[in-house]
Amino acid sequence: MTTTPEQNQYDLELKGITKHFGSFMAVGNLSLSVERGQFVCLLGPSGCGKTTTLRIIAGLEEPEKGEVWIDGRRVDDDPPWVRDFAMMFQDFALFPHMTIRKQVAFGLEMLKRPKEEIRRRVDETLATFEIGALADRKPDTLSGGQQQRVALARALITQPRLLLLDEPIGSLDFSLREAVMLELKDVQRRLGISFIWVTHDQNEAFSLGDLVVVMNHARIEQVGPPEAIAERPRTRFVAEFIQGNNVFEGTVESVENGNARIGTPSGSFDVPVEDAPLLAPGAVVTFSVRADILSTRPQAEHVNRLEATCNAVEYLGAIRRYDLQLEDGRSLKYEQFRSAAARIKEGERVSIGWRVEDGVLHASPSAPSDEHRA
Amino acid sequence: MHWRTRQKAAKIILGGITFFFLIFQWFPLFTMGVLSFTGPDDGTTFPMRSLSLHWYREFLRDSFVDDFKPPMYRSLVLAVICSVTTAGLALAAAQAMRSRFAGSDLFFYLILLGIMAPGILVGLGMAVVARVLGIPLAWYSTTLAVHLVWTLPFGLLLLLAAFNRFDRELEEAALTLGANRWSAFWRITFPLVLPGVIGAALFGFTLSYDEFARSLFATGSEQTLPLIIFAQFDRQLQPTLYAIGTTTTVISLGMVGLFALLFRIVRRRAQTTSPGVN
Repeated sequence: MTTTPEQNQYDLELKGITKHFGSFMAVGNLSLSVERGQFVCLLGPSGCGKTTTLRIIAGLEEPEKGEVWIDGRRVDDDPPWVRDFAMMFQDFALFPHMTIRKQVAFGLEMLKRPKEEIRRRVDETLATFEIGALADRKPDTLSGGQQQRVALARALITQPRLLLLDEPIGSLDFSLREAVMLELKDVQRRLGISFIWVTHDQNEAFSLGDLVVVMNHARIEQVGPPEAIAERPRTRFVAEFIQGNNVFEGTVESVENGNARIGTPSGSFDVPVEDAPLLAPGAVVTFSVRADILSTRPQAEHVNRLEATCNAVEYLGAIRRYDLQLEDGRSLKYEQFRSAAARIKEGERVSIGWRVEDGVLHASPSAPSDEHRA
Repeated sequence: MHWRTRQKAAKIILGGITFFFLIFQWFPLFTMGVLSFTGPDDGTTFPMRSLSLHWYREFLRDSFVDDFKPPMYRSLVLAVICSVTTAGLALAAAQAMRSRFAGSDLFFYLILLGIMAPGILVGLGMAVVARVLGIPLAWYSTTLAVHLVWTLPFGLLLLLAAFNRFDRELEEAALTLGANRWSAFWRITFPLVLPGVIGAALFGFTLSYDEFARSLFATGSEQTLPLIIFAQFDRQLQPTLYAIGTTTTVISLGMVGLFALLFRIVRRRAQTTSPGVN
């Protein structure tokens, strides 16, 4: 994506951030730009560096290298308390000795606003987040959902450009999560500020993020809108981390007309080359095909074919997932909407096919891209 | 034996041991308390032929008060100074140790040595050093110093325990809300470890108030209460001493009660809803 050199175009920019804990690299040369008012989800397994990245933005960790820019201002030499952002912690980190009114006023008191203004703005904020009735209570008497609202009110009262959220619904009851997610998304849209939301849950990332940043081993694997991540996983890691992909590994046999023929233990398949025009025969590569794009009644256009036996059927909410066994013993996932008629029974043999353009060739792991533009 | 019977037997035996231990702990003090009410013609031991407040009157007599009042005053003032100083230093030391500064382990063990070192030798050492340096011995300087060496480790241990229960994320939350380190400490950290600070102050007070061994050589001519009581034994043994002992014990218990009350108030304020609000 192209950028124009306009002032304050970004709520957040990270440039070449690197951070080690001892010899463990937590964040490696990470760059990311967040345009105004974007909902960004940092998605990855635990230990991938997403929380460390968040803490570096906040100033709670110091990177060895790199720059942090918030709202057009370089802040990596500033302590946390002068940076213009707010943060929500996983367990909300409410102050146990303060009433809700006191907690919410805290940010404004630190800014040394006049008493009258603080009282007015606290009243407004308590009303906005519908926690006015809790004003004189202390956090330990509140439910998880109420605590979450208080934490949000406390964070947003100073009207920051940027809200950092560290697994903000991870400690809520499962039944509450969806409602809270919608509420937070609504708050973000209304205020027009950027959210940086750390999660290991791809459903959260996909349903909330304007932009999803998939991280692994201290690096960014892929940045893009949810559909792009789901449909065109850039690396093998992304394809495997995001559920619903079938990953094949094989050797390039030939490259013709923009397609590579890739020999795998399960057969040879044609995959579009796209961004890797220099791919040469003999190279070991991986590619993936989404489980819900496979066809069980292959037509002429479904050039890539496989024979399989159905092992098991799983029901996952709105989808039905079939575990198919290929002739070489490997397994293949096939997904169907549950509303569609069940086509395959356990033990049944099926023909599977997919079009050339359904395959996604992965970038080789030795060539990580370091620059990501939102 | 059935396991329930064994369990019952164990309860009775352990309960009995605990009971006898408590008697063993408190009986000497109790005996002293009883004997302080003995009659004017009785000696310092049983049997008690009559009950009276004679020895309390004796203890409050002018000449006696003149002897005991100044040391009692000194001991109280010393204990209060020691209490405040212990709480302050222990808080600072525990806060510093959270950052695991270079040598913090060594620092911890060196402070802890104050508990291990034999008190009478610490006092003697202080006296020698003071003489070499030309510092006059006094209850408010040299004695205070040796008392602090004794009380600080207790305070530090208490505050380390308090910080151990403290959630560091609360401080970080304060920093992200615009509080600098100073504000975050006084607005968030301090109120939440205050029960530990009060505990450290209590140790500082009670350990100093009745300290004898460390005071013995370090104090000089203006003596503290435990020293003057001991000197009294040398001259003559009279039930007056029991009256004095009982009085000071009551003062000590009163202080413990006061601190306990303070502790409860602070704890309640820190953790639950204020009363009357729902």
